[in-house]
Amino acid sequence: MSTNLQPRLASPTQATRAFHRLRWRLTRNQVRFLLAGSRLRLIMIMICSAIFWAGLFGLFFEGFQFLGSFVKLSNEIIEYLFGMFFLSLLIMLVFSTGIILYTGLFSSREAEFLLTVPTSTDRIFAFKFIEAMAFSSWGFLLLGSPMMVAYGITVNAPWPFYFAFLAFLFAFVLIPGGLGAVGAILVANYLPRRRKTVVALGVGLCILVGLVLGYRLSRTPGDAMTQEWFDTLLRRLEFSQHPLLPSRWMSTGLIRAAQGNWPDGLFYLGITAAHAAMAYLVAAVVARDLYRQGYSRVQGGRSSRRRYGWYALDGLFHHLFFFVARPIRLLILKDLRTFRRDPAQWSQFLIFFGLLAFYFVNIRRFGYDVNSAYWRNLLSFLNLAVTALILSTFTSRFIFPLLSLEGRNFWVLGLLPVRRAQILWGKFAFAAGISLVATEVLVILSDLMLGLEPAMVALHIGMVAILCLGLSGISVGLGARLPNLKEDDPSKIAAGFGGTLNLLVSLVFIFLIVAALALPCHLYFAGQDPTMSGVAAVTNERFTRWLVLAAIASLVIGALGTIIPLKIGIKAFQKMEF
Amino acid sequence: MIELQGVTRTFGAKRAVDQLDLHVGEGELFAFLGPNGAGKTTTIKMVCGLLNPTQGRVLVGGYPADSQEARQLVAYVPDQPYLYEKLTGREFLKFVAEMYGLERRHAMQRIDQLVDTFEMSEYVDELSENYSHGMKQRVVFASALVHDPKVLIIDEPLVGLDPRSGRIVKDLLVSQARAGIAVLMSTHLLGIAEELADTIGIIDHGRMLARGTLAEIRAQVEIHGPLEDLFLKLTGGDRPRALHSLLTEPVGKTVSIEPDQTD
Repeated sequence: MSTNLQPRLASPTQATRAFHRLRWRLTRNQVRFLLAGSRLRLIMIMICSAIFWAGLFGLFFEGFQFLGSFVKLSNEIIEYLFGMFFLSLLIMLVFSTGIILYTGLFSSREAEFLLTVPTSTDRIFAFKFIEAMAFSSWGFLLLGSPMMVAYGITVNAPWPFYFAFLAFLFAFVLIPGGLGAVGAILVANYLPRRRKTVVALGVGLCILVGLVLGYRLSRTPGDAMTQEWFDTLLRRLEFSQHPLLPSRWMSTGLIRAAQGNWPDGLFYLGITAAHAAMAYLVAAVVARDLYRQGYSRVQGGRSSRRRYGWYALDGLFHHLFFFVARPIRLLILKDLRTFRRDPAQWSQFLIFFGLLAFYFVNIRRFGYDVNSAYWRNLLSFLNLAVTALILSTFTSRFIFPLLSLEGRNFWVLGLLPVRRAQILWGKFAFAAGISLVATEVLVILSDLMLGLEPAMVALHIGMVAILCLGLSGISVGLGARLPNLKEDDPSKIAAGFGGTLNLLVSLVFIFLIVAALALPCHLYFAGQDPTMSGVAAVTNERFTRWLVLAAIASLVIGALGTIIPLKIGIKAFQKMEF
Repeated sequence: MIELQGVTRTFGAKRAVDQLDLHVGEGELFAFLGPNGAGKTTTIKMVCGLLNPTQGRVLVGGYPADSQEARQLVAYVPDQPYLYEKLTGREFLKFVAEMYGLERRHAMQRIDQLVDTFEMSEYVDELSENYSHGMKQRVVFASALVHDPKVLIIDEPLVGLDPRSGRIVKDLLVSQARAGIAVLMSTHLLGIAEELADTIGIIDHGRMLARGTLAEIRAQVEIHGPLEDLFLKLTGGDRPRALHSLLTEPVGKTVSIEPDQTD
């Protein structure tokens, strides 16, 4: 038996101070690094954020003005709207903080290092909790602040209201943060091998509840914007006003503060802050008692080794695409295997495109198919644009980082008898193939449900093909031109400068393609619609000529949007040193 | 200083460590040898308090391995060094010194001394994201020694180090052991174990197959050749079979490269 030594333990204050200094040094060095080397990136991020903020502010401001013309903006309708908004954010923050904390506490190499230093686990938790809160709630600030400023201006709120909002926000985000943290630690302890299932079930459940609620709200009886319609709508949203929900304290407190009713406003702020403190305290106690044990269990849980082998799907792929050169086929197959073995990729793909499919299937339930040709045309283009936008987020998140991730293992591919250009063409074929299958099915489904004419369906099929090829070309090309070979986390690669630029270029591309063809169709159908009296009718002959020109323009833009980024990417990739 | 009593660790159905008993005393340099997946890293992580044993007890200096007291005594150098990319090497060393509650002036002196010992002065004030693997490993070694640990645990000490850095680390391990520190290292490099270790433990499938000085193990196995022969004998087979067949059987098919597929 060993003899007990008497180690001199660092005091809790010393450990806390050490963590504070670490945070300060990391932040300072990061800011210096950004200012010294990536000014363009910093400026782009700031400009994009400012545009996004201003856009949201305009949207909320117009929305409040519109609502203000029907109801008094301090009445219960606004309270219900805010209640729903904050409740949705609360649920999203529980998941996002939980997932970020799970990764930070149980899967990161930093956690392994921190767990070997002589400090209590609740201090390590506190350090990681602050980081997770900052990551998960910056979006809340970006989304919530324009709404609150727009509301404040609309109702002439006193100036302290804007500071009260910040205090409310700070207190509010701690509640879902604490809940998410407790959830993450409990999952690590009791379901260490089922973490992805838990997240998938949770997200699925929330989506299902959201869909049911959306469906019920869309079926609210009565004429829209009438008193009876509002009353029924509010009754269906009554659950969001439960007095025990933090979203209720937030919405009521902010509205009272905007009215200058400070006793009530501060009362709700006090309740929110007290519960925030409680949520953090509970999370810290759970972390103190269960974090280390959970870490051990998660590390143990990783060893359930699943064997992967040759699947019939791979054989089928070889048979179906026998005409593609074998090296490219093998490269596509490699990416395809990675895709289907990475739940983060296919689950996101499935959730977004599944939701769209669900909506398209229900188009007839909403009665959109019996609307006028003008409305059906407008809806069909909107559906197509939404499908393309979701595809662009997918290509930015998963296709853009492919080359960066490949670059780390390039020596493997570099030694194979394959040209570098072929590697890029393989990635392009993989991205375009998956995108085409998913989006064509969706857009055809939407058009059939809307009862469009075959010519319009054919036009949309062509547009989607151009969009898929273009978005894949942009992501693969820019991914090769602006790779981040140091990073092995695809989400961080996608969130970097290259990923942001890729998303912006993709958005511009979608806008050009959709606008070029949607505009003539829109004006033509608007001219045909008897309710659109202010729009001049476009003759069939003129419409056909215009459409042909627009189709040629789209084809040219599509070809340029596909080939130029790919050429740039191939050139950069061939020169790249690893 | 390090005591493992009947320790078992399972990962699902797999027993990574099976009824392991181990004792490493003050001033002892213990080398843990074993093939890949033998249970070396699992054992080391249990001694560091990162993994809990499924059965048995792990004590460091008489304290449970996952206690704060044990962590104050231990220094751990993993095979893959971890540094904060946006900290300089010196800032990282300061952070570790602060975590262990070292008095500021003493910490600065100690850090300067370690920077000198590990010959890091040229790069220690640059961000560690620019370091090579060997540079990072030297900073991590320095951070392990900044608080004068009583137990030093090292997973694969020479991975990624150039010969000069390797020499520094080897000298350091011996000097630390002679200064009374218990050193537990796992390695694949039999030469280091043979050169440095006071005691060698050979582990496979989570069980300790042999333990003692080199002479004692030779006597147990009744082979008086180099450590490599002892190791291969204990861990199954004198020469890996697959390699033997690969060397003796001809390759059946040649690979041709199409002219248009080459750069």
